[in-house]
Amino acid sequence: MNYTPTVGQILQAKGVSRRGFLKYCATTASLLALPPSMIPRIAEAIENARRPSVIWLSFQECTGCTESLTRSSSPTVEGLIFDAISLDYHHTLQAASGDQAEAARHAAMEENDGNYLVLVDGSIPMGNPGFSTIAGISNYDMLMETVAGAAAVVAIGSCAAFGGIPGANPNPTGAVSVKDLVTDKPVINVPGCPPIPMVITGVLAQFLTFGAIPDLDKHGRPLAFFGNTIHDRCYRRPFYEQGKFADTFDDEGAKAGWCLYKLGCKGPTTYNACATVKWNSGTSFPIESGHPCLGCSEPRFWDKGGFYQPLSTGHFGSGAKLAGAAVAGAALGVAAAAAGRRRQAKFTREA
Amino acid sequence: MTTVDGRHRLDREAERIAYKPPEARHDKQGDMSTDERVEHAMHHFVKNFNTQTASYLDGCVHCGMCADACHYHVRTDDPRYTPIWKIELFKRAYKREVGPFAFFYRLFGFKKKITIDQLEEWQHLLYDSCTVCGRCSLVCPMGIDIAGMVSMARHGMFKAGLIPHELHETAKRAAETGSPLGITPEKFEERLEWMADEHEVDIPLNIEKADVLAVMSSIEIQKYPESMAATAKILNAAGESWTFRSDGFEATNFGMLSGNTDWQKEASMKLINTAIKIGAKKLVLPECGHAYMAMRWMGANMYGKPLPFKVQHISEYIADALNEGRLKVKKVDKSVTFHDPCQVSRRGGATQAPRDILKHLGVDFREMPNGGDYNWCCGGGGGVVTIKRADELRHRVFKLKMDQVEATEAEELLSSCANCRQSFDDSQQHFGWDYTMGSLMEMVADNIEEQRS
Amino acid sequence: MDLLEFARGPALQTAAYILVAGTIWRIVGIVMLKEKADYSEPRGRGGFFAALKVIWTRAFTAEPFKKATMYPKMMAYVMHIGLFATIFLFTPHIVFFEGWMGFDWPGLPNSVIFFIGVATVISGVALLVRRMTSPVLKMISNFDDYFSWFVTMLPLITGLLIPVRVLFQYEDLLAIHILSVALLLIWLPFGKLGHAFLVFITRGTTGMVFERRGART
Repeated sequence: MNYTPTVGQILQAKGVSRRGFLKYCATTASLLALPPSMIPRIAEAIENARRPSVIWLSFQECTGCTESLTRSSSPTVEGLIFDAISLDYHHTLQAASGDQAEAARHAAMEENDGNYLVLVDGSIPMGNPGFSTIAGISNYDMLMETVAGAAAVVAIGSCAAFGGIPGANPNPTGAVSVKDLVTDKPVINVPGCPPIPMVITGVLAQFLTFGAIPDLDKHGRPLAFFGNTIHDRCYRRPFYEQGKFADTFDDEGAKAGWCLYKLGCKGPTTYNACATVKWNSGTSFPIESGHPCLGCSEPRFWDKGGFYQPLSTGHFGSGAKLAGAAVAGAALGVAAAAAGRRRQAKFTREA
Repeated sequence: MTTVDGRHRLDREAERIAYKPPEARHDKQGDMSTDERVEHAMHHFVKNFNTQTASYLDGCVHCGMCADACHYHVRTDDPRYTPIWKIELFKRAYKREVGPFAFFYRLFGFKKKITIDQLEEWQHLLYDSCTVCGRCSLVCPMGIDIAGMVSMARHGMFKAGLIPHELHETAKRAAETGSPLGITPEKFEERLEWMADEHEVDIPLNIEKADVLAVMSSIEIQKYPESMAATAKILNAAGESWTFRSDGFEATNFGMLSGNTDWQKEASMKLINTAIKIGAKKLVLPECGHAYMAMRWMGANMYGKPLPFKVQHISEYIADALNEGRLKVKKVDKSVTFHDPCQVSRRGGATQAPRDILKHLGVDFREMPNGGDYNWCCGGGGGVVTIKRADELRHRVFKLKMDQVEATEAEELLSSCANCRQSFDDSQQHFGWDYTMGSLMEMVADNIEEQRS
Repeated sequence: MDLLEFARGPALQTAAYILVAGTIWRIVGIVMLKEKADYSEPRGRGGFFAALKVIWTRAFTAEPFKKATMYPKMMAYVMHIGLFATIFLFTPHIVFFEGWMGFDWPGLPNSVIFFIGVATVISGVALLVRRMTSPVLKMISNFDDYFSWFVTMLPLITGLLIPVRVLFQYEDLLAIHILSVALLLIWLPFGKLGHAFLVFITRGTTGMVFERRGART
């Protein structure tokens, strides 16, 4: 077998400084809530990792998740970490196509049987196998075939994790999540539309470091990244407590950077690391740019009412139905009073 | 029904309406089976429910504040004397039979049927320990008129034959003879004549047509006959065309107090018909609290349409006459405090009249602490004064009244209710108290300034 | 459909229908009973304005009763004002009402609401303790009193727990909170909590009857 350089060697070759690499490891450690003493261990694990084989399957998706990982203007450590794995199959990124590509996938599966990772973005249509195929293979068949020999499966993005936008009401393709289908392998959900790149690589780094599945929440998300709500860590939280809210997108409150709760921010019910890791190399996150959180890392975020509808908005039902209830109440009242009067009359007669 | 006079002798000389203490109590009347009693009670509770009572019975939030307004509870700390508890059975009948959710209350048995034991227990609560003074109605944060409903609950109790012995006998006597004290028209005429002689006052009787029909309370006729003379002096001095009538003189209404609506109506109609017969423009009620409630506010409803004459309490009449200058009084150099009869002031709305009169009399008027409409009851209202077995409790609650009166340090204690007066007299005797209750009307009558014309 | 959606959707809707139907049922059931005509000659002015007057004045204690009823009254004031503030002046609630009615009003800072909420719960507990210890209240209380207390306190307590986040996550607590509100709305018209609307009838009736007599109200 060919010589496989370690991740550390590759990073070095790409011109990533030791200092920059350790900073990445420190950030990862803090995200994982690990003590600083673990930083060297993470660094060591990553540096010495032997480019694990990774097969990336893309089903009903928009490529946004891949874009999120790769569309950085300058190479980032997390991007390079990805370079450092042996990405043996990714039909957006790989040069090969057609039978050649499929052959690469099969080769990787055979060579690394039982050890490779499967990363999936996009949901799987169950309505009709023809809704989405790759090289004539339906998404379902490809998924099941590929995960058979995998060590673990990582569902990248909300489509793979929860069905996402393809699965939104009325779900014409019968889209389901990876977890709905893969029950005999560990599945780690890394939702988000798209997920934060640092979180994707962080999960991988954690897997490489400890060789084990991290602690997951009830939605299969690593608690290390999805343990807190956006609201909990939001820098605008003090305005919420003070009752200072932006009422519209261009009022004084919006300009002053007040809380976006009334504009429909889903921060309080959304678990993700946006408010701490942020986006675009730590530049900002949606709320910082003045837009309420959409709650994209939550199951069925597309179907939970309007994006601009405040969280506490409830549904008292239609006016017509309420009026109907009122009429019914009045009828019952009249009947009750009539019954009461009848009893009074009866008693008066008997008395 | 049992007869009255055969068994118990009327004690006319006692300080109050009373019989000799019954040798054996008969707090159950009639020969009904237990089931019949319960049924009658239920039926006559249920008859009373209307929109007003329904809202009251549905609206109670069980805050218990009415207990703090009730003299019985305040003086004994016995939770059973919580006013709203006194109408618990009445309330239960409502919830079970007539309320908006009565169907479910019956279906699931949320409110149990009333039992005879409960009714007997509640006799004590609805009669012995409630004077229908209505103080609780003022404290209620929901604005529920509890006192009014005690009166209604009594309708059921009466029909079930479950009212205190003496009250029943008194009411029955009133129904049979026209007066709770058995005062016949002849006796009335006789006593009027006596007073006319004694006080050298002209007392018109049985005039065919008059503007004002004056009526009396048996308590006054029997125990405070000066009231008759005082009434005459005042009406004469005011230059009124008035008369007493021997076919309609009794203002008290024991039908109302005992809970017998038929008797109540009978008593009221007697006065109403007499007033109409003589073409009276005004019916002047005596110094009697419940008579005011019975005629001023319930009379027209017994009649079934508005009365063709005005109804006034004597204190209202005097206040008007003084304010209009038809009557003049001399100044009285005394300090006076005034006990407001519950049914006239708190529940009747004629609180201002006695104060106007006292102003004309020029006395040093001393309002009792928390007096006026928030007055403590004398303890004898609602027929309670007739009930012997309630004496101890009545004297106990009277302590509140004594404190209230004593706080004023006034020389004279006046009121405008003969029933209050007899209950004060009785308690005074019991306690050996310094204060003797006087009549406001008599003070006016004693100080009329003869008009030069 | 997760719990929160169920709470916000069908649960709240059903509760609203039951609230409306039950309230009208009870009011109509009372109002349609026989009316007692009063033929007595009025002394004062009864009618609508007398009703309004007493609806307002009975919110306050008459001087002679102040001393005796001070404690429960104060607790009840804290309770009612606290409930009003937490329900109607908490911004997320205002947003809720705005979404329903189309207009909003200024709220209080959330931290202030939190303390009001705590005070309200304390007053509620104080009133419950009083109910369970006072001989009068022990005797006159029934299931309705305790259950009504419970369904009133539940939304308050679950609401207060949302920011504290003990035991449950935000959205679960929010769901439980809304479900507890639904329970409150369902129970409200049928039990003694009906005083929320019956108070206008009871005080109003007394106002009309006694103002008409010119008597003390």
